[in-house]
Amino acid sequence: MPELGLIIEVVLIFIKVYIVGMILFMLPLPLTWLERKVAGRIQVRLGPHRVGPKGLLQPFADMVKLLLKEDIIPDKADRFLFKLAPLLAMIPAFAVFVAIPVGDTFTIPGIDYVFKLYISDMNVGVLYVLAIGGLGIYGIIFGGWASNSKYSLLGGLRSAAQMISYEVALSFAAIGVVMMSNSLSLVEIVKSQGGGFWNWNLFYLPVGPVWFLIFFIASLAEINRIPFDLPEDEGTLGSGFHTEYSGMRFSFFMLAEYIAMVTISVLAVVFFFGGWMPPIDPATFGIKVPAQIMSVWGIGWFIAKVVVFIYIFMWIRFTLPRYRYDQLMTIGWKILIPVSLITVLVTGLMRIFLT
Amino acid sequence: MIEQIFFYIFAIIAVVSAIAVVTSKSPIHSAIALIITLLQVAAIFILLRSPFLAAVQVFVYVGAVVVLFLFAVMLLDLGGEKIKEQFHQQTVLGVISSVGLFVVLLFMLSRGSLTAPTGGYTEAVLAKNTEVIGKVLFTKYIYPFEVVSLLLLVALVGAVVLVLNQKGKDGV
Amino acid sequence: MSEKCKAKLINFVKKSVFADFIRGLYITFSYNFEGAMTLKYPDSEKWIPYRRFRGLHTLNKNSEGKELCVACELCSRACPTDCITVIPEENDAGRGIADRVAKVWEVDLTRCMFCGYCEDACPTTAVRLGREYELACTTLERGTRSRDELLLPQPVPEALTGGVVAKARFIRSADGIKVVAELGKVRQRKL
Ligand code: SF4
Ligand code: SF4
Repeated sequence: MPELGLIIEVVLIFIKVYIVGMILFMLPLPLTWLERKVAGRIQVRLGPHRVGPKGLLQPFADMVKLLLKEDIIPDKADRFLFKLAPLLAMIPAFAVFVAIPVGDTFTIPGIDYVFKLYISDMNVGVLYVLAIGGLGIYGIIFGGWASNSKYSLLGGLRSAAQMISYEVALSFAAIGVVMMSNSLSLVEIVKSQGGGFWNWNLFYLPVGPVWFLIFFIASLAEINRIPFDLPEDEGTLGSGFHTEYSGMRFSFFMLAEYIAMVTISVLAVVFFFGGWMPPIDPATFGIKVPAQIMSVWGIGWFIAKVVVFIYIFMWIRFTLPRYRYDQLMTIGWKILIPVSLITVLVTGLMRIFLT
Repeated sequence: MIEQIFFYIFAIIAVVSAIAVVTSKSPIHSAIALIITLLQVAAIFILLRSPFLAAVQVFVYVGAVVVLFLFAVMLLDLGGEKIKEQFHQQTVLGVISSVGLFVVLLFMLSRGSLTAPTGGYTEAVLAKNTEVIGKVLFTKYIYPFEVVSLLLLVALVGAVVLVLNQKGKDGV
Repeated sequence: MSEKCKAKLINFVKKSVFADFIRGLYITFSYNFEGAMTLKYPDSEKWIPYRRFRGLHTLNKNSEGKELCVACELCSRACPTDCITVIPEENDAGRGIADRVAKVWEVDLTRCMFCGYCEDACPTTAVRLGREYELACTTLERGTRSRDELLLPQPVPEALTGGVVAKARFIRSADGIKVVAELGKVRQRKL
């Protein structure tokens, strides 16, 4: 008979997984609204404003529309793969969040139970996140192939090539973070950045900002957002790998895309912006704040930082044009990778001689 | 006990999907089966207390190598390949070598024992699995490590040279 | 250092600090604070056009309330699409400024292209193109407007310069939908 503590732990994990899953499922609703509002403001329009106050109910209207749409499977499509692909795109996006910490621990006062604000603190967290996050590509490739349409196939192909090219730069950026923080665990990485914003990896001068830029550019390409959204380039490919998808299956792809955006925002915050650490720690001024308040405060900071990043992604989307395919490859192989190799060297030397 | 159950689950799925890799008609379906096999192997790595290897397995093999396979398959449009073409003239050789390998493996297994003594690494050390691998790799096994990286470099340069030659011939 | 070298160097530095990106991002960010150009038409706002606008025809009266139209049919002749029908009659009861008045004056809006030639041709400035532009209708009969209706005063009085956005109400009724502007509450349009 396993002891009570273990059972509670397991039950808690299930509850946490459930909560995180629900949040992620619901997240695209506000995000689509936000994206359109941001687009509206940037293009001097209003954005959605007719369904509900300020258009807040627009995502629900969209959801109803998508649910009621006919689900079309093209002739001669590979039916099994065609149905599987949206799920393949979505599941890794969810699975990544197992390793994401929103905070450290929360000691419940009274019973002194230490509640962990993450599902699992793996000692290979960084690798896990990158590996699982990278699997989402299969949804795109298989979706593109199974549709039996040339536009979809080209979208899938482009996606595969793009992903392989930028995965390298992204992993280099992760290596940089690991070198700066001296750990592969996401919780440890955040902890190493505590104490104030000058300790954040972003301000690990002079390499921090370079790593951040490499990470940011590579991740934009990884999640297929403008200016690297060639797999769904409307101008040349219909709408790329999901040209043939409709209704609920299409919305799964959209869901995966939004979650991927959140994932990358979260990773940027964890890697470079100190995760849940507030920019200025009261402890540096000798002010004592109860640990519970600090952890709630930290979650607030975490969410705020992530929201800022999501905004930046949207802002970029409605500002920049799309790259040409050869430019995309040039940026990946001829700029990002050499720059990251040099930066690895500099970071290594800094670690050896400065610490 | 639980670990053993999980091991058998993973192992059976791995073997079944490995068979599916070679038997399925469409290369894309083979690739899916290959992905499943590799994921199962990663799971077995976790059972062996090596999350680092598991993550790398998923990262490199599932995340990059199979994507490359798929890229090639889709680019070359191998979709319509017939079963017949899969078994070209190498059937005899293939059967002989695989049977031979199987016999050798069985022989080795029957001679050795399946329960090896536990190594010098305790659970506490293995919790820092990544560091252990790193240390071993860069001290004890530095020579093989360097040899392998040199080999990879040679392969890389070779690929570049081949492509360059091709370009010269086409007059591009 | 040669000029060419210098230009290359400047270009390189610009690229490596993402100068162009930052400029672009700055511009789009500044749009955030400009507010929207969108009018909430037909929900709650309506555009009041300038006087030069060419909308639904109106037939005017003089200051004594007499019809200006003398049924000369010049407008009908001038119309390129031949959509005005004028049938004159004699009337000395003082309905018009002369004893020749229009018995029928109809314009077929489904053919009219709002060119304004009728307006130009009219010797007495009786026909003018007004500022009414919600002309969609559900029956073909509504597409033809006749004298009685066109003689009514316009919803936007001639005195108003226009070129503003007015608060409005959206009304759905049996004869179709209308957006009624409240001319008192107006705002300038952002440009
Ligand atoms: S506006 Fe032009 S088309 Fe319309 S009635 Fe007058 S002359 Fe004819
Ligand atoms: S509206 Fe003017 S042009 Fe037309 S019939 Fe009357 S007076 Fe003549």
